[in-house]
Amino acid sequence: MGKRFYYFLLCTLTVSFLFGFAFSEKENKKADQNQKVDQCFTCHKEIDNLPKDFSENDIHRHANLSCSSCHGGDPNSDDQDVAMSPSKGFVGVPKRKDIPKFCGKCHSNINIMRVYQPRIATDQVEQYYTSVHGKKLLAGDENVAECSSCHTAHSILPAKDPRSSVYALNVPNTCNKCHGNSSLMKNYNIPVNQLEEYSKSVHGIALLKNKDISAPACNDCHGNHGATPPGLKSISHVCGTCHVSNMEFFNATRMAKAFEEQDFHGCEQCHGNHGVQKPNDEMIGVGKESKCTDCHSEGDKGYNVSKNIYSSLTKLKKEYDTANAKYLEVRQKGMNDVEIGFQLQDAKQALIQSRTLIHTFDSVKVGAKVKEGIEFSNKASMLAQKEIDDYSTRRNGFAIATLAFLVFVIALYFKIKDKEKKAS
Amino acid sequence: MKLDRRKFLNMLLGFGGIGGILSVFYPVFSFLIPPKTTEPKVNSVKAGMSAEFPANSSKIIKFGRKPVILIKTEDNQYKALSASCTHLDCIVQYKNDTKQIWCACHNGIYDLNGRNISGPPPRPLEEYEVKIVKDEIVITKVG
Repeated sequence: MGKRFYYFLLCTLTVSFLFGFAFSEKENKKADQNQKVDQCFTCHKEIDNLPKDFSENDIHRHANLSCSSCHGGDPNSDDQDVAMSPSKGFVGVPKRKDIPKFCGKCHSNINIMRVYQPRIATDQVEQYYTSVHGKKLLAGDENVAECSSCHTAHSILPAKDPRSSVYALNVPNTCNKCHGNSSLMKNYNIPVNQLEEYSKSVHGIALLKNKDISAPACNDCHGNHGATPPGLKSISHVCGTCHVSNMEFFNATRMAKAFEEQDFHGCEQCHGNHGVQKPNDEMIGVGKESKCTDCHSEGDKGYNVSKNIYSSLTKLKKEYDTANAKYLEVRQKGMNDVEIGFQLQDAKQALIQSRTLIHTFDSVKVGAKVKEGIEFSNKASMLAQKEIDDYSTRRNGFAIATLAFLVFVIALYFKIKDKEKKAS
Repeated sequence: MKLDRRKFLNMLLGFGGIGGILSVFYPVFSFLIPPKTTEPKVNSVKAGMSAEFPANSSKIIKFGRKPVILIKTEDNQYKALSASCTHLDCIVQYKNDTKQIWCACHNGIYDLNGRNISGPPPRPLEEYEVKIVKDEIVITKVG
Protein backbone atom coordinates (compact mmCIF):
# COMPACT_ATOMS: atom_id res chain seq x y z
CA MET A 1 0.00 0.00 0.00
CA GLY A 2 1.41 3.31 -1.02
CA LYS A 3 1.12 6.88 0.09
CA ARG A 4 -1.93 7.37 -2.13
CA PHE A 5 -3.94 4.92 -0.04
CA TYR A 6 -3.17 6.77 3.19
CA TYR A 7 -4.06 10.12 1.59
CA PHE A 8 -7.34 8.57 0.41
CA LEU A 9 -8.07 7.22 3.89
CA LEU A 10 -7.28 10.56 5.52
CA CYS A 11 -9.54 12.44 3.08
CA THR A 12 -12.41 9.96 3.57
CA LEU A 13 -12.20 10.27 7.36
CA THR A 14 -12.05 14.08 7.22
CA VAL A 15 -15.04 14.29 4.90
CA SER A 16 -17.01 11.81 7.01
CA PHE A 17 -16.23 13.78 10.16
CA LEU A 18 -17.22 17.12 8.62
CA PHE A 19 -20.38 15.63 7.14
CA GLY A 20 -21.30 14.00 10.46
CA PHE A 21 -20.67 17.26 12.33
CA ALA A 22 -22.75 19.24 9.84
CA PHE A 23 -25.55 16.67 10.06
CA SER A 24 -25.63 16.67 13.87
CA GLU A 25 -25.64 20.49 13.84
CA LYS A 26 -28.58 20.35 11.46
CA GLU A 27 -30.38 17.86 13.72
CA ASN A 28 -29.69 20.03 16.77
CA LYS A 29 -31.04 23.06 14.95
CA LYS A 30 -34.08 21.06 13.96
CA ALA A 31 -34.61 19.95 17.56
CA ASP A 32 -34.14 23.54 18.73
CA GLN A 33 -36.69 24.68 16.21
CA ASN A 34 -39.10 22.01 17.49
CA GLN A 35 -38.65 23.36 20.98
CA LYS A 36 -38.95 26.93 19.77
CA VAL A 37 -42.17 26.37 17.85
CA ASP A 38 -44.05 26.03 21.14
CA GLN A 39 -44.88 29.70 21.23
CA CYS A 40 -47.41 29.15 24.07
CA PHE A 41 -44.63 28.25 26.48
CA THR A 42 -42.24 30.91 25.16
CA CYS A 43 -44.69 33.80 25.44
CA HIS A 44 -46.27 32.71 28.74
CA LYS A 45 -42.82 32.32 30.24
CA GLU A 46 -41.73 35.72 28.94
CA ILE A 47 -44.70 37.48 30.48
CA ASP A 48 -44.35 35.36 33.59
CA ASN A 49 -47.80 33.95 33.15
CA LEU A 50 -47.26 30.22 33.40
CA PRO A 51 -49.81 28.29 35.49
CA LYS A 52 -49.11 28.39 39.23
CA ASP A 53 -48.52 24.66 39.44
CA PHE A 54 -46.45 24.50 36.25
CA SER A 55 -43.46 22.17 36.40
CA GLU A 56 -40.77 21.59 33.79
CA ASN A 57 -40.87 17.94 34.90
CA ASP A 58 -44.48 17.41 33.84
CA ILE A 59 -44.80 14.08 32.01
CA HIS A 60 -46.53 15.70 29.03
CA ARG A 61 -43.81 18.27 28.61
CA HIS A 62 -41.21 15.52 28.73
CA ALA A 63 -43.14 13.79 25.92
CA ASN A 64 -42.68 17.01 23.87
CA LEU A 65 -46.38 17.81 24.00
CA SER A 66 -47.25 21.47 23.74
CA CYS A 67 -49.76 23.41 25.86
CA SER A 68 -51.90 23.38 22.73
CA SER A 69 -52.13 19.57 22.89
CA CYS A 70 -54.64 20.05 25.72
CA HIS A 71 -55.76 23.66 25.41
CA GLY A 72 -55.87 23.88 21.60
CA GLY A 73 -54.72 26.88 19.57
CA ASP A 74 -51.75 27.33 17.31
CA PRO A 75 -48.39 26.83 19.06
CA ASN A 76 -46.49 28.00 15.95
CA SER A 77 -47.76 31.53 15.99
CA ASP A 78 -46.32 34.27 18.20
CA ASP A 79 -49.38 36.39 17.54
CA GLN A 80 -51.68 36.02 20.54
CA ASP A 81 -54.82 36.58 18.49
CA VAL A 82 -53.88 33.85 16.06
CA ALA A 83 -52.40 31.44 18.62
CA MET A 84 -55.40 31.66 20.94
CA SER A 85 -58.05 31.88 18.30
CA PRO A 86 -61.12 29.61 18.68
CA SER A 87 -60.84 29.05 14.96
CA LYS A 88 -57.54 27.30 15.71
CA GLY A 89 -59.29 25.07 18.23
CA PHE A 90 -58.33 27.11 21.31
CA VAL A 91 -60.45 26.07 24.31
CA GLY A 92 -58.49 27.74 27.10
CA VAL A 93 -59.08 26.61 30.67
CA PRO A 94 -61.67 23.84 30.68
CA LYS A 95 -64.67 24.01 32.96
CA ARG A 96 -64.38 21.70 35.93
CA LYS A 97 -67.23 19.47 34.79
CA ASP A 98 -65.46 19.00 31.44
CA ILE A 99 -62.03 18.03 32.80
CA PRO A 100 -62.46 14.21 32.70
CA LYS A 101 -63.51 14.34 29.06
CA PHE A 102 -60.80 16.94 28.41
CA CYS A 103 -58.08 14.52 29.64
CA GLY A 104 -59.96 11.61 28.08
CA LYS A 105 -59.45 13.08 24.60
CA CYS A 106 -56.08 11.37 24.68
CA HIS A 107 -56.26 9.08 27.71
CA SER A 108 -59.31 7.23 26.41
CA ASN A 109 -57.84 6.87 22.96
CA ILE A 110 -55.69 3.78 22.65
CA ASN A 111 -54.28 4.92 19.31
CA ILE A 112 -52.80 8.01 20.96
CA MET A 113 -51.80 6.35 24.23
CA ARG A 114 -50.10 3.46 22.47
CA VAL A 115 -47.51 5.90 21.17
CA TYR A 116 -46.55 7.14 24.63
CA GLN A 117 -47.46 4.40 27.12
CA PRO A 118 -48.58 1.20 25.41
CA ARG A 119 -49.38 -0.48 28.74
CA ILE A 120 -51.56 2.26 30.20
CA ALA A 121 -55.28 1.57 30.69
CA THR A 122 -57.56 3.72 28.57
CA ASP A 123 -60.71 3.22 30.64
CA GLN A 124 -59.85 5.65 33.42
CA VAL A 125 -62.52 8.15 32.39
CA GLU A 126 -65.08 5.38 32.06
CA GLN A 127 -64.12 4.14 35.53
CA TYR A 128 -64.21 7.66 36.88
CA TYR A 129 -67.86 8.10 35.92
CA THR A 130 -68.69 4.99 38.00
CA SER A 131 -67.05 6.51 41.07
CA VAL A 132 -68.79 8.66 43.66
CA HIS A 133 -66.70 11.59 42.42
CA GLY A 134 -67.69 11.00 38.80
CA LYS A 135 -71.39 10.49 39.50
CA LYS A 136 -71.55 13.67 41.53
CA LEU A 137 -69.66 15.65 38.90
CA LEU A 138 -72.12 14.46 36.27
CA ALA A 139 -74.93 15.52 38.56
CA GLY A 140 -73.51 19.05 38.56
CA ASP A 141 -71.54 19.03 41.81
CA GLU A 142 -68.30 20.86 41.01
CA ASN A 143 -66.76 20.41 44.45
CA VAL A 144 -65.85 16.80 43.85
CA ALA A 145 -62.49 15.53 42.71
CA GLU A 146 -61.69 15.33 39.02
CA CYS A 147 -58.43 14.31 37.29
CA SER A 148 -56.43 17.40 38.24
CA SER A 149 -57.48 17.22 41.91
CA CYS A 150 -55.32 14.15 42.38
CA HIS A 151 -52.84 14.34 39.49
CA THR A 152 -52.44 18.15 39.47
CA ALA A 153 -52.93 20.06 36.24
CA HIS A 154 -49.44 21.08 35.15
CA SER A 155 -47.03 19.05 37.27
CA ILE A 156 -48.25 15.58 36.43
CA LEU A 157 -45.71 12.84 37.08
CA PRO A 158 -45.89 9.07 36.59
CA ALA A 159 -47.38 7.23 39.58
CA LYS A 160 -44.05 5.45 40.09
CA ASP A 161 -42.18 8.72 40.49
CA PRO A 162 -41.71 9.46 44.22
CA ARG A 163 -42.38 13.16 43.49
CA SER A 164 -45.80 12.36 42.06
CA SER A 165 -48.93 13.28 43.99
CA VAL A 166 -50.22 9.77 43.28
CA TYR A 167 -47.04 7.89 44.27
CA ALA A 168 -48.00 5.28 46.89
CA LEU A 169 -46.41 7.21 49.79
CA ASN A 170 -48.16 10.43 48.75
CA VAL A 171 -51.64 9.03 48.07
CA PRO A 172 -52.99 9.40 51.67
CA ASN A 173 -52.02 13.08 51.77
CA THR A 174 -53.34 13.69 48.26
CA CYS A 175 -56.77 12.27 49.19
CA ASN A 176 -56.64 14.17 52.46
CA LYS A 177 -56.38 17.50 50.66
CA CYS A 178 -60.14 17.22 50.19
CA HIS A 179 -61.12 14.51 52.66
CA GLY A 180 -59.40 16.34 55.51
CA ASN A 181 -61.16 19.62 54.66
CA SER A 182 -64.06 19.89 57.08
CA SER A 183 -65.80 22.75 55.27
CA LEU A 184 -65.78 20.73 52.07
CA MET A 185 -66.76 17.43 53.67
CA LYS A 186 -69.60 18.72 55.83
CA ASN A 187 -71.80 18.87 52.72
CA TYR A 188 -71.35 15.13 52.27
CA ASN A 189 -71.54 14.16 55.93
CA ILE A 190 -68.15 12.45 55.70
CA PRO A 191 -65.78 12.49 58.70
CA VAL A 192 -62.44 14.22 58.15
CA ASN A 193 -60.27 12.13 60.48
CA GLN A 194 -59.56 9.27 58.08
CA LEU A 195 -55.92 10.23 57.54
CA GLU A 196 -55.40 10.65 61.28
CA GLU A 197 -56.89 7.20 61.89
CA TYR A 198 -55.05 5.65 58.96
CA SER A 199 -51.68 7.08 60.08
CA LYS A 200 -52.00 5.20 63.38
CA SER A 201 -53.18 1.99 61.73
CA VAL A 202 -51.02 -1.01 60.94
CA HIS A 203 -51.27 -0.14 57.23
CA GLY A 204 -50.53 3.55 57.79
CA ILE A 205 -47.51 2.87 59.98
CA ALA A 206 -46.14 0.44 57.38
CA LEU A 207 -46.62 2.92 54.54
CA LEU A 208 -46.04 6.34 56.05
CA LYS A 209 -43.58 5.53 58.82
CA ASN A 210 -41.73 2.48 57.51
CA LYS A 211 -41.99 3.64 53.86
CA ASP A 212 -43.16 0.17 52.79
CA ILE A 213 -44.87 0.95 49.49
CA SER A 214 -46.40 -2.52 49.37
CA ALA A 215 -48.67 -1.50 52.28
CA PRO A 216 -52.16 -0.44 51.21
CA ALA A 217 -52.94 3.24 50.68
CA CYS A 218 -56.47 4.66 50.18
CA ASN A 219 -56.70 3.53 46.55
CA ASP A 220 -55.86 -0.10 47.32
CA CYS A 221 -59.19 -0.54 49.12
CA HIS A 222 -61.33 2.16 47.51
CA GLY A 223 -60.01 1.98 43.97
CA ASN A 224 -58.51 5.01 42.27
CA HIS A 225 -60.35 6.24 39.21
CA GLY A 226 -63.44 4.29 40.24
CA ALA A 227 -63.10 5.31 43.90
CA THR A 228 -66.12 4.21 45.88
CA PRO A 229 -66.59 3.11 49.49
CA PRO A 230 -66.61 -0.71 49.50
CA GLY A 231 -70.16 -2.04 49.88
CA LEU A 232 -71.16 -4.44 52.64
CA LYS A 233 -70.65 -7.50 50.48
CA SER A 234 -67.36 -6.37 49.04
CA ILE A 235 -65.60 -5.52 52.31
CA SER A 236 -64.33 -9.02 52.96
CA HIS A 237 -63.32 -9.27 49.29
CA VAL A 238 -61.41 -5.99 49.48
CA CYS A 239 -59.53 -7.10 52.61
CA GLY A 240 -59.28 -10.59 51.13
CA THR A 241 -57.25 -9.40 48.16
CA CYS A 242 -54.29 -9.42 50.54
CA HIS A 243 -55.60 -11.42 53.51
CA VAL A 244 -56.69 -14.36 51.36
CA SER A 245 -56.82 -17.16 53.96
CA ASN A 246 -58.69 -15.03 56.48
CA MET A 247 -61.33 -14.26 53.86
CA GLU A 248 -61.65 -17.89 52.75
CA PHE A 249 -61.95 -19.16 56.32
CA PHE A 250 -64.46 -16.48 57.26
CA ASN A 251 -66.62 -16.88 54.16
CA ALA A 252 -66.93 -20.62 54.80
CA THR A 253 -68.42 -20.10 58.27
CA ARG A 254 -72.02 -19.75 59.38
CA MET A 255 -70.95 -16.46 60.91
CA ALA A 256 -70.46 -14.95 57.42
CA LYS A 257 -74.10 -15.64 56.60
CA ALA A 258 -75.22 -14.30 59.97
CA PHE A 259 -73.17 -11.13 59.36
CA GLU A 260 -74.84 -10.67 55.99
CA GLU A 261 -78.31 -11.13 57.47
CA GLN A 262 -77.56 -8.60 60.21
CA ASP A 263 -75.98 -6.11 57.77
CA PHE A 264 -72.67 -6.36 59.62
CA HIS A 265 -69.59 -5.09 57.81
CA GLY A 266 -67.50 -8.29 57.48
CA CYS A 267 -63.89 -7.74 58.55
CA GLU A 268 -64.62 -4.16 59.59
CA GLN A 269 -66.98 -5.32 62.33
CA CYS A 270 -64.09 -6.58 64.47
CA HIS A 271 -61.04 -4.90 62.94
CA GLY A 272 -62.32 -1.43 62.06
CA ASN A 273 -61.54 0.28 58.77
CA HIS A 274 -59.15 3.21 58.44
CA GLY A 275 -57.71 2.73 61.91
CA VAL A 276 -57.22 -1.05 61.64
CA GLN A 277 -54.70 -2.14 64.26
CA LYS A 278 -52.41 -5.14 64.36
CA PRO A 279 -54.68 -7.79 65.86
CA ASN A 280 -53.85 -9.19 69.30
CA ASP A 281 -54.99 -12.30 71.13
CA GLU A 282 -57.14 -10.22 73.48
CA MET A 283 -59.56 -9.56 70.62
CA ILE A 284 -60.72 -13.13 70.99
CA GLY A 285 -61.85 -14.68 74.29
CA VAL A 286 -64.17 -13.14 76.82
CA GLY A 287 -62.00 -10.42 78.34
CA LYS A 288 -62.47 -6.67 78.28
CA GLU A 289 -60.97 -6.22 74.81
CA SER A 290 -62.85 -9.15 73.31
CA LYS A 291 -64.77 -8.50 70.12
CA CYS A 292 -66.72 -11.73 70.50
CA THR A 293 -68.56 -10.53 73.59
CA ASP A 294 -70.03 -7.68 71.54
CA CYS A 295 -72.53 -10.28 70.32
CA HIS A 296 -72.02 -13.41 72.41
CA SER A 297 -72.91 -13.65 76.07
CA GLU A 298 -72.04 -16.16 78.77
CA GLY A 299 -73.64 -19.52 78.26
CA ASP A 300 -74.03 -19.45 74.49
CA LYS A 301 -71.95 -21.62 72.17
CA GLY A 302 -70.00 -18.79 70.57
CA TYR A 303 -68.95 -17.53 74.02
CA ASN A 304 -67.49 -20.93 74.91
CA VAL A 305 -65.78 -21.35 71.53
CA SER A 306 -64.19 -17.95 71.92
CA LYS A 307 -63.04 -18.83 75.45
CA ASN A 308 -61.49 -22.12 74.25
CA ILE A 309 -59.72 -20.53 71.30
CA TYR A 310 -58.28 -17.83 73.54
CA SER A 311 -57.10 -20.41 76.05
CA SER A 312 -55.37 -22.49 73.32
CA LEU A 313 -53.72 -19.46 71.76
CA THR A 314 -52.39 -18.04 75.00
CA LYS A 315 -51.01 -21.46 75.94
CA LEU A 316 -49.07 -21.65 72.67
CA LYS A 317 -47.95 -18.04 73.02
CA LYS A 318 -46.65 -18.77 76.52
CA GLU A 319 -44.73 -21.85 75.38
CA TYR A 320 -43.37 -19.95 72.39
CA ASP A 321 -42.24 -17.03 74.58
CA THR A 322 -40.52 -19.40 77.01
CA ALA A 323 -38.68 -21.14 74.17
CA ASN A 324 -37.80 -17.79 72.60
CA ALA A 325 -36.37 -16.47 75.88
CA LYS A 326 -34.16 -19.56 76.15
CA TYR A 327 -33.17 -19.17 72.49
CA LEU A 328 -32.06 -15.59 73.18
CA GLU A 329 -30.10 -16.79 76.21
CA VAL A 330 -28.36 -19.41 74.06
CA ARG A 331 -27.46 -16.75 71.50
CA GLN A 332 -26.21 -14.43 74.22
CA LYS A 333 -24.01 -17.20 75.60
CA GLY A 334 -22.59 -17.77 72.12
CA MET A 335 -23.74 -21.40 71.94
CA ASN A 336 -25.07 -23.22 68.88
CA ASP A 337 -28.59 -21.92 68.20
CA VAL A 338 -29.14 -23.02 64.59
CA GLU A 339 -31.48 -25.97 65.15
CA ILE A 340 -33.31 -24.12 67.94
CA GLY A 341 -33.92 -21.29 65.46
CA PHE A 342 -35.49 -23.71 62.97
CA GLN A 343 -37.75 -25.25 65.61
CA LEU A 344 -38.79 -21.80 66.80
CA GLN A 345 -39.55 -20.74 63.25
CA ASP A 346 -41.90 -23.71 62.93
CA ALA A 347 -43.47 -22.84 66.28
CA LYS A 348 -43.95 -19.23 65.17
CA GLN A 349 -45.49 -20.42 61.93
CA ALA A 350 -47.94 -22.61 63.85
CA LEU A 351 -48.79 -19.61 66.06
CA ILE A 352 -49.47 -17.43 63.00
CA GLN A 353 -51.57 -20.16 61.39
CA SER A 354 -53.51 -20.69 64.62
CA ARG A 355 -54.29 -16.99 64.69
CA THR A 356 -55.44 -17.10 61.06
CA LEU A 357 -57.58 -20.14 61.87
CA ILE A 358 -59.52 -18.02 64.37
CA HIS A 359 -61.53 -16.94 61.32
CA THR A 360 -62.94 -20.48 61.10
CA PHE A 361 -64.40 -19.97 64.61
CA ASP A 362 -63.63 -23.65 65.12
CA SER A 363 -61.83 -24.36 68.40
CA VAL A 364 -60.94 -27.91 67.26
CA LYS A 365 -59.08 -26.67 64.16
CA VAL A 366 -57.30 -23.98 66.17
CA GLY A 367 -56.53 -26.53 68.92
CA ALA A 368 -54.89 -28.95 66.45
CA LYS A 369 -52.60 -26.26 65.09
CA VAL A 370 -51.84 -25.02 68.61
CA LYS A 371 -50.81 -28.56 69.58
CA GLU A 372 -48.40 -28.62 66.64
CA GLY A 373 -46.95 -25.28 67.73
CA ILE A 374 -46.55 -26.40 71.34
CA GLU A 375 -44.59 -29.47 70.18
CA PHE A 376 -42.20 -27.28 68.19
CA SER A 377 -41.88 -24.85 71.10
CA ASN A 378 -41.15 -27.66 73.56
CA LYS A 379 -38.54 -29.14 71.27
CA ALA A 380 -36.91 -25.72 70.88
CA SER A 381 -37.03 -25.27 74.66
CA MET A 382 -35.45 -28.66 75.23
CA LEU A 383 -32.64 -28.02 72.73
CA ALA A 384 -32.04 -24.58 74.20
CA GLN A 385 -31.91 -25.97 77.74
CA LYS A 386 -29.35 -28.55 76.59
CA GLU A 387 -27.15 -25.77 75.20
CA ILE A 388 -27.54 -23.71 78.38
CA ASP A 389 -26.59 -26.77 80.48
CA ASP A 390 -23.66 -27.44 78.18
CA TYR A 391 -22.51 -23.87 78.69
CA SER A 392 -22.63 -24.36 82.50
CA THR A 393 -20.72 -27.64 82.21
CA ARG A 394 -18.01 -25.93 80.18
CA ARG A 395 -17.72 -23.10 82.68
CA ASN A 396 -17.55 -25.48 85.65
CA GLY A 397 -15.06 -27.67 83.78
CA PHE A 398 -12.86 -24.67 83.13
CA ALA A 399 -12.99 -23.67 86.81
CA ILE A 400 -12.08 -27.21 87.95
CA ALA A 401 -9.24 -27.39 85.41
CA THR A 402 -7.86 -24.04 86.58
CA LEU A 403 -8.06 -25.21 90.20
CA ALA A 404 -6.29 -28.50 89.33
CA PHE A 405 -3.47 -26.60 87.60
CA LEU A 406 -3.17 -24.22 90.54
CA VAL A 407 -2.96 -27.09 93.03
CA PHE A 408 -0.40 -28.82 90.79
CA VAL A 409 1.76 -25.72 90.56
CA ILE A 410 1.62 -25.08 94.34
CA ALA A 411 2.30 -28.74 95.12
CA LEU A 412 5.21 -28.76 92.65
CA TYR A 413 6.65 -25.66 94.31
CA PHE A 414 6.57 -27.27 97.75
CA LYS A 415 7.89 -30.55 96.36
CA ILE A 416 10.92 -28.77 94.86
CA LYS A 417 11.50 -26.93 98.14
CA ASP A 418 11.22 -30.21 99.96
CA LYS A 419 13.79 -31.84 97.65
CA GLU A 420 16.19 -28.91 98.09
CA LYS A 421 15.80 -29.08 101.86
CA LYS A 422 16.44 -32.80 101.80
CA ALA A 423 19.51 -32.37 99.57
CA SER A 424 21.00 -29.70 101.82
CA MET B 1 -3.65 -43.02 110.05
CA LYS B 2 -1.48 -39.98 110.31
CA LEU B 3 -1.02 -38.08 107.08
CA ASP B 4 2.51 -36.60 107.07
CA ARG B 5 3.51 -33.50 105.10
CA ARG B 6 5.31 -35.41 102.34
CA LYS B 7 2.38 -37.76 101.67
CA PHE B 8 -0.03 -34.81 101.58
CA LEU B 9 2.23 -33.02 99.15
CA ASN B 10 2.46 -36.11 96.91
CA MET B 11 -1.33 -36.43 96.98
CA LEU B 12 -1.75 -32.80 95.97
CA LEU B 13 0.84 -33.25 93.24
CA GLY B 14 -0.96 -36.34 91.95
CA PHE B 15 -4.39 -34.67 92.04
CA GLY B 16 -3.10 -31.53 90.34
CA GLY B 17 -1.09 -33.51 87.80
CA ILE B 18 -3.95 -35.80 86.78
CA GLY B 19 -6.39 -32.83 86.75
CA GLY B 20 -3.93 -30.85 84.63
CA ILE B 21 -3.43 -33.71 82.16
CA LEU B 22 -7.24 -34.21 81.87
CA SER B 23 -7.72 -30.46 81.33
CA VAL B 24 -5.32 -30.59 78.40
CA PHE B 25 -6.53 -33.81 76.82
CA TYR B 26 -10.31 -33.36 77.26
CA PRO B 27 -10.51 -30.37 74.85
CA VAL B 28 -8.19 -32.24 72.45
CA PHE B 29 -10.54 -35.24 72.37
CA SER B 30 -13.57 -32.93 72.12
CA PHE B 31 -11.98 -31.30 69.11
CA LEU B 32 -11.25 -34.65 67.47
CA ILE B 33 -14.85 -35.84 68.02
CA PRO B 34 -16.88 -32.63 67.47
CA PRO B 35 -20.61 -32.41 68.25
CA LYS B 36 -23.01 -32.50 65.29
CA THR B 37 -23.39 -28.76 64.80
CA THR B 38 -23.83 -26.65 61.72
CA GLU B 39 -21.42 -23.90 60.84
CA PRO B 40 -23.12 -20.58 61.51
CA LYS B 41 -21.76 -18.98 58.31
CA VAL B 42 -22.50 -20.97 55.20
CA ASN B 43 -21.85 -20.04 51.59
CA SER B 44 -22.91 -23.29 49.95
CA VAL B 45 -24.58 -26.54 50.92
CA LYS B 46 -24.92 -29.93 49.30
CA ALA B 47 -28.54 -30.92 48.85
CA GLY B 48 -28.30 -34.57 47.88
CA MET B 49 -27.98 -36.47 44.62
CA SER B 50 -29.77 -35.14 41.59
CA ALA B 51 -30.94 -38.59 40.48
CA GLU B 52 -32.69 -39.17 43.83
CA PHE B 53 -34.71 -35.96 43.58
CA PRO B 54 -37.95 -36.49 41.64
CA ALA B 55 -39.21 -33.90 39.15
CA ASN B 56 -42.10 -31.60 40.18
CA SER B 57 -41.17 -31.81 43.84
CA SER B 58 -39.37 -29.76 46.45
CA LYS B 59 -37.51 -29.99 49.72
CA ILE B 60 -36.46 -27.59 52.42
CA ILE B 61 -32.70 -27.30 52.88
CA LYS B 62 -31.05 -25.78 55.93
CA PHE B 63 -28.69 -23.16 54.52
CA GLY B 64 -26.88 -22.16 57.71
CA ARG B 65 -29.51 -20.39 59.72
CA LYS B 66 -31.81 -19.90 56.76
CA PRO B 67 -34.27 -22.35 55.23
CA VAL B 68 -34.04 -22.64 51.46
CA ILE B 69 -36.65 -24.27 49.24
CA LEU B 70 -35.13 -26.39 46.48
CA ILE B 71 -37.52 -27.14 43.63
CA LYS B 72 -37.05 -29.52 40.72
CA THR B 73 -39.52 -28.46 38.05
CA GLU B 74 -41.37 -30.76 35.67
CA ASP B 75 -38.75 -30.09 33.00
CA ASN B 76 -35.95 -31.00 35.45
CA GLN B 77 -34.82 -27.42 36.09
CA TYR B 78 -33.63 -26.56 39.59
CA LYS B 79 -34.75 -23.50 41.52
CA ALA B 80 -33.47 -22.55 44.96
CA LEU B 81 -35.14 -19.70 46.79
CA SER B 82 -35.28 -18.48 50.35
CA ALA B 83 -38.05 -20.46 52.06
CA SER B 84 -38.92 -17.63 54.46
CA CYS B 85 -42.04 -15.81 53.32
CA THR B 86 -41.35 -12.09 52.99
CA HIS B 87 -44.58 -11.32 54.84
CA LEU B 88 -44.11 -12.86 58.30
CA ASP B 89 -41.25 -15.37 57.84
CA CYS B 90 -43.37 -18.52 57.58
CA ILE B 91 -41.85 -21.41 55.61
CA VAL B 92 -43.19 -21.55 52.06
CA GLN B 93 -44.12 -24.74 50.18
CA TYR B 94 -44.10 -25.84 46.57
CA LYS B 95 -47.56 -26.63 45.18
CA ASN B 96 -46.98 -29.30 42.56
CA ASP B 97 -50.52 -28.91 41.16
CA THR B 98 -50.40 -25.16 40.47
CA LYS B 99 -46.60 -25.06 40.03
CA GLN B 100 -46.38 -22.14 42.42
CA ILE B 101 -44.78 -21.41 45.76
CA TRP B 102 -47.33 -21.01 48.51
CA CYS B 103 -47.27 -19.72 52.06
CA ALA B 104 -49.79 -21.48 54.26
CA CYS B 105 -49.95 -18.71 56.86
CA HIS B 106 -51.76 -16.07 54.81
CA ASN B 107 -52.05 -17.67 51.39
CA GLY B 108 -49.21 -15.69 49.86
CA ILE B 109 -48.23 -16.94 46.41
CA TYR B 110 -44.95 -16.63 44.51
CA ASP B 111 -44.08 -17.82 41.03
CA LEU B 112 -41.18 -20.18 40.40
CA ASN B 113 -38.83 -17.21 40.01
CA GLY B 114 -39.73 -16.14 43.54
CA ARG B 115 -41.81 -13.15 42.46
CA ASN B 116 -44.67 -12.34 44.83
CA ILE B 117 -47.81 -12.60 42.71
CA SER B 118 -50.69 -12.82 45.18
CA GLY B 119 -51.57 -12.29 48.81
CA PRO B 120 -49.74 -10.22 51.41
CA PRO B 121 -46.02 -10.90 50.65
CA PRO B 122 -44.43 -7.51 49.97
CA ARG B 123 -41.23 -8.66 48.27
CA PRO B 124 -39.92 -11.52 46.13
CA LEU B 125 -38.04 -14.46 47.63
CA GLU B 126 -34.24 -14.26 47.60
CA GLU B 127 -32.75 -16.45 44.91
CA TYR B 128 -29.89 -18.96 45.35
CA GLU B 129 -27.74 -20.51 42.67
CA VAL B 130 -28.01 -24.24 41.98
CA LYS B 131 -25.18 -26.21 40.39
CA ILE B 132 -24.89 -29.89 39.69
CA VAL B 133 -21.42 -31.12 40.53
CA LYS B 134 -20.89 -34.79 39.66
CA ASP B 135 -24.65 -35.42 39.93
CA GLU B 136 -24.73 -33.76 43.36
CA ILE B 137 -26.90 -30.68 43.90
CA VAL B 138 -24.97 -27.74 45.34
CA ILE B 139 -26.78 -24.60 46.46
CA THR B 140 -24.76 -21.39 46.59
CA LYS B 141 -25.58 -17.92 47.77
CA VAL B 142 -25.78 -15.44 44.90
CA GLY B 143 -23.35 -12.51 45.08
